[in-house]
Amino acid sequence: MALAQALPEVCDDTALLTRIRRGDENAMATFFDRYATIVYSVALRVLHHAAAAEEIAEEIFLDVWRTPESLLTTGTPGAYLALIARNRAIDALLRRPSSPAVNDISLAAIYDLSNEEERSILADRTSTAVFRLPRDQRKALEMACFDGLSHTEIAEITGDTASLVRMKIRNALLDLRKAAFA
Amino acid sequence: MTATSLHYEAGDLALFAMQLLSEEEYRLIAGHVAACAFCRQELARLQGDLAAYIHTVEMHAPAPVVRDRVLHRIAREKKAPVSIPLETVVSSAREIRKAPSPHTEQIEPQHPIPAVEEPEIHLATRRHNGNRPQFEEVAEPRSSGSIFGKIVLGLGWIASAALAFAGMQLYQQLQANRTSISLQAKELDRLRNDAAGSRRLLDTMTSTSARHVLLSPPASSATPDPAPEGRIIYSAATGSLIFFADHLEPLDSSRIYELWLIPADGRDPIPAGTFRPDPQEAASIILPPLPRATEAKAFGVTIEDEGGSQSPTLPIVLAGN
Repeated sequence: MALAQALPEVCDDTALLTRIRRGDENAMATFFDRYATIVYSVALRVLHHAAAAEEIAEEIFLDVWRTPESLLTTGTPGAYLALIARNRAIDALLRRPSSPAVNDISLAAIYDLSNEEERSILADRTSTAVFRLPRDQRKALEMACFDGLSHTEIAEITGDTASLVRMKIRNALLDLRKAAFA
Repeated sequence: MTATSLHYEAGDLALFAMQLLSEEEYRLIAGHVAACAFCRQELARLQGDLAAYIHTVEMHAPAPVVRDRVLHRIAREKKAPVSIPLETVVSSAREIRKAPSPHTEQIEPQHPIPAVEEPEIHLATRRHNGNRPQFEEVAEPRSSGSIFGKIVLGLGWIASAALAFAGMQLYQQLQANRTSISLQAKELDRLRNDAAGSRRLLDTMTSTSARHVLLSPPASSATPDPAPEGRIIYSAATGSLIFFADHLEPLDSSRIYELWLIPADGRDPIPAGTFRPDPQEAASIILPPLPRATEAKAFGVTIEDEGGSQSPTLPIVLAGN
């Protein structure tokens, strides 16, 4: 077996998910080791409860095992899992059933999140960009993303108008995008 | 809800991506996005932005028991390509035993082997005909098979042995390849880590938000000539720190220099690494593990016992803010 052909099997998410689809438990273990920390950390950030975050992580990885093909079409499974973890945790926080429509859409991500160092670089760069955001923008994005507050709820708390909050969230995300490409 | 003449604004799509809209608003945008490639693309970008933002959370590894539970549960849910009820399997197997296989009909040999009467094993093992077991009587037709059959049997054994040998060779080759791949993958990981470290270093050195701090001996202390000095580049957002020092006095082997980050929020000083000067009296610390988003009030260097300390011991050798 040529090394060039073999290495992607060691590292590549797609190859890993293909093996999971065939029922390869070792591939599933590797996939878990690769993404468990981000999935659990996101759920923990939203729920502030270790047992609840563990439950979310378990369910997400069981879903990967049952239907790995759903991740194969997302573009970057790492980014998708982070988003799914956030959405499920918010659903649990708000005690509402999952709304899967958004999850069906591919993500446009510029990083190879299958690599731990790439994830670390992404986190570093984005942290720096978040740090540079105006405080009110940063706060609005944080409340929407991790506290599950709608723009109208945030407006009630901050005293801004709902449309201004929506604009702040949009600007924050667009600034982060600019920083990622800088 | 703000829709332009053709498309939704990024702000609406962002709220949609975060699932923070009312059911009605959500339904409207979902319907539009399903039919609009432009908005679908923008939504994908926003979800990518969100995923990047989500990656800024403080990382915590789940307890090992979570991994065990997941792997245990997936082992219980083993995947089977085709799921057939046991009853069907058993009845099918019976039918297969009764009916001749279509494949055996197709590969009928040119020199037909004489039909062999299948012995009734269950009788042979239980019944006896006088002193002689019934099995031998029933099995007799098999032993009287043609020489051709024996040749075929022998060839079969030889073929099996050859296949087993080839299989073993292939297995050994596979194992060797796996070992090689594993080593190459480790090397690749090491190179990636090196590259990522270099990238982080470069990001820190070129970051416009990074602080540059000069460290010098406190005014009250007697300083040798040339005086020791240090320089720090510190990015609070990423917790990245680069430290260089020069003209440091050598220490005996039981003592070591230690760098400290003094947080601006009044928390205890955070150890940022230990170091010894080289023969040229220079030293450096590159990217020590530090928490992110910790604003620094000042930095200091102390002399500690070998192995370092969790709290600084006075006096301070170098300081800067």
